[in-house]
Amino acid sequence: MLTYKTSGVFNLAFGAQAYISAAMYFKAHSLWGWPKWAALVVSAFVLAPLLGLVLERLIFRHLRTASAVSKLVIAIGLSVALPELFNQAARFTAVAGRQISGIVPDGAGVFYDPFGVYRFNRDELAMMAVALAASLLLAALFRFTMIGLAMRAVVESPRMTELSGISADRTSAFAWALSSTFAGLAGVLIAPRFNSLIPTEFFTLVVIAVAAAAVGKLVSLPRALLGGLGLGWFIAVFNTFLPRWSGDHTWLRPLQENLTPSLPFVVLFGILVLWRAIGRQTEASDPLAGVDPPPPALAAHQRHPKLTLFTRLFGVCFVTVVGLVVWFRADVLWMHLVTTAVIMSVIYLSVTVITGMAGQISLCQGTFGAIGGFMVFQMADRFDMSVLAAALMGAVAAAAVGAVLSLPVLRLGGVWLAIATLAFAFFFDAVMVKFSWVGGGSTALLTGTRVPRPLLGPIDFASDRAFLVLAVIVLVVVSVVVIQLRDGTIGRTLAALRGSEVAAASIGISAARARIVAFAVSAAIAGLGGALLSMHHQNVNYSVNFGPINALFWLVVVVALGARTVEGAIQGGAAFALFEPLILQGELLAWILRGEDHLPGFFPIAGSWRLVLFGLMAMQFARHPEGLVEYGKRRASARISRWLEAREERQAAVA
Amino acid sequence: MTPLLEASGVSVAFAGIRALVDVSVSVRAGERVGLIGPNGAGKTTLFNCLLGIIRPGAGRVQLNGVDVGEWPVYRRARAGMGRTFQRVELFSDTTVREHLFVAERIRNGTGAFWKDLLGRGRPRPGEIAACDEVLELLGIAELADQPVESLSLGQSRLVEVGRALMTGPQVLLLDEPSSGLDRDETQALAATLRAVQDARGYAVLLVEHDVSLVADFTERTYVLDSGALIAEGPTADVLADPAVRRAYLGSFEVS
Repeated sequence: MLTYKTSGVFNLAFGAQAYISAAMYFKAHSLWGWPKWAALVVSAFVLAPLLGLVLERLIFRHLRTASAVSKLVIAIGLSVALPELFNQAARFTAVAGRQISGIVPDGAGVFYDPFGVYRFNRDELAMMAVALAASLLLAALFRFTMIGLAMRAVVESPRMTELSGISADRTSAFAWALSSTFAGLAGVLIAPRFNSLIPTEFFTLVVIAVAAAAVGKLVSLPRALLGGLGLGWFIAVFNTFLPRWSGDHTWLRPLQENLTPSLPFVVLFGILVLWRAIGRQTEASDPLAGVDPPPPALAAHQRHPKLTLFTRLFGVCFVTVVGLVVWFRADVLWMHLVTTAVIMSVIYLSVTVITGMAGQISLCQGTFGAIGGFMVFQMADRFDMSVLAAALMGAVAAAAVGAVLSLPVLRLGGVWLAIATLAFAFFFDAVMVKFSWVGGGSTALLTGTRVPRPLLGPIDFASDRAFLVLAVIVLVVVSVVVIQLRDGTIGRTLAALRGSEVAAASIGISAARARIVAFAVSAAIAGLGGALLSMHHQNVNYSVNFGPINALFWLVVVVALGARTVEGAIQGGAAFALFEPLILQGELLAWILRGEDHLPGFFPIAGSWRLVLFGLMAMQFARHPEGLVEYGKRRASARISRWLEAREERQAAVA
Repeated sequence: MTPLLEASGVSVAFAGIRALVDVSVSVRAGERVGLIGPNGAGKTTLFNCLLGIIRPGAGRVQLNGVDVGEWPVYRRARAGMGRTFQRVELFSDTTVREHLFVAERIRNGTGAFWKDLLGRGRPRPGEIAACDEVLELLGIAELADQPVESLSLGQSRLVEVGRALMTGPQVLLLDEPSSGLDRDETQALAATLRAVQDARGYAVLLVEHDVSLVADFTERTYVLDSGALIAEGPTADVLADPAVRRAYLGSFEVS
């Protein structure tokens, strides 16, 4: 169903591309009343390849030699930003709750049942036919044509390909146009399967498709197709037979209800963990990768000591002023937002640990946060326990889950680790949350997952102001812990592992042990942050706060701003919570201009532009993998250092 | 006397191709041993078997008389096997001293999670002194605060040796230390290696392509060809052996 690993990018943005074409088709056909063929041509064969070309030209061309992980981060950013950008540009709003009519006449209504087992409708048959034809076409392209060979070469080593006289730019442009066309076609074909037309459905689709591709180990076309068909068949069988069986055997019913929606994720997780070949597959390393300059050192390590002192002083002043303004002037809304920023910073520090320190991409930080939140809810709800104690229990529980999860997952490296954690997040989302001992079950649907504010001896944190203080204290403690770990044995061990795994082993470092610790610490921080967030909202609010897509969002924010430093995480938290009201709604500008009446007419800017900006931020990551904050810091400190040195020289000359 | 490091009857096959056939080598304490052979002879494969990166299909690897065949790489390292790499493997974004410090901390085993939490995980004066002592020995003390990215290849190899020394090895396995270095650099490296080995007294197994370095440095030599041992003995005798010369197609002269 999708087999475009040939573009060398682990393309999670595929879902976004499919969504855009599906939405375009829907708009053209259903809203403008175009004939089907015209809508199809415009959406899948004009818009889609154009989109592919634009993406290639603007983003992925510059990324060709980047690491697989940074490509993944950018693809995640795109998968959030692209649909929003399209919605804004085309004034399209996501459609929910109605069947989308497909290109096949009466596609969902006419059934065929060739094997007497499962009734295929016309849409499904058309999809399979297109998938088969596309696979044959691609296979022929790769095997028999020059451009196919060149495409494979570019994936292996773009520099080598250029050296042998092939334009890597043109080849990859072609690959992107092609893959985007397939994405668009798939989007148009698959849209009728959903009852709505919203981007998240398509993202979920991508995860399923990744499972299929994993069977083909990302490179083999026929195996990926077989994997897709096999997976589809497997799911269909479960969907068809489990309800029938569970009619007779009631013990099967909970299994059926819980397993069915999560099956693709369970299968994906299972394939990744159990199939040893994937773990052993080393990331294809470019033979010419050695020509890249090494990453620059942290700015703090090389700047002028005077500047360091000045920066610290400035930081203290800034925090004090902001603190005073918030403390004395903020209204309820702003108090709420600032508290959110502080708590998000705590959660983002968990990303600093796992991604910045250990160099691993985990896409289930939201799940760890949810574990913390649910623990507080359950303990307070059932046992009337102190919420603060429950929050610590939540952190411990998240750490335990993180450690157990890391055992099978850590054998995988890089991108596969990210995908496995994503599968886990979706699994938790689809199965675990429904259990009453986790997400509160059906009573929680009615009453919500209520979480009270903490009470510590005589101090009641029920008031917003007191709770903000608590959140700041937690943030400070967690920041100090992260810094201590970074400078201590575990931080240095992880840095060694990040640098060279074989060399680390050669001096007696156990990679597994160090990474399990990193995973557990990161999960604990996320769990604690999740517990705090739940207390703050006085409700766990699982799907709003901790859904699998949120965790993707978090990762990109932190990584783009700077995953290696504590400031990066704190700025991420502030950006997450405060950017929209402060900048987009023009509050800051209004405050500067003294009054909302003076604001230019284009305020308030729609909130979804935030997502577009977010996508742009992800792209910045391509150029500054150390993070924007870190990049800015280094540039500024280099400039100021030069100035300071020049001044000293002048003074020396005068003396 | 039990040899310090001993591989007996090691065989490895990759997808039907026999990379090593019934190879036995041993290194005694304090000894300098060479392992040479033409490209594709199986030198690196044997090296990887000794370190546990590859599990041999048959045969045993013993360290101090203990069978370490099932041990992972890091456990063998802690038990006294240090190594360097043919393609330099340094930890990016750290200074030379920090490199040695990680190894020292792992060796002395005083790093604990709770100590990190309490801020007791930072380098202690004794550990820094131990690192500086080794840097002094290698003659790169002035590089201590340099980031490793700024080093030349020869300096990087010395840092690797220093890192391996911090683990307190009983046997140091050197993987083609001369590759990528010119003749002068190789000789300087050999002189340093010998001086350091005299001072520290560990055993060395040198896997090398450059025969002159092996002739200079080692007391005993094994020769591998097409996965089998074709000669072993005192280095000078081995290098004079006609069968060894044939394997190298007369590509070197022993003066």
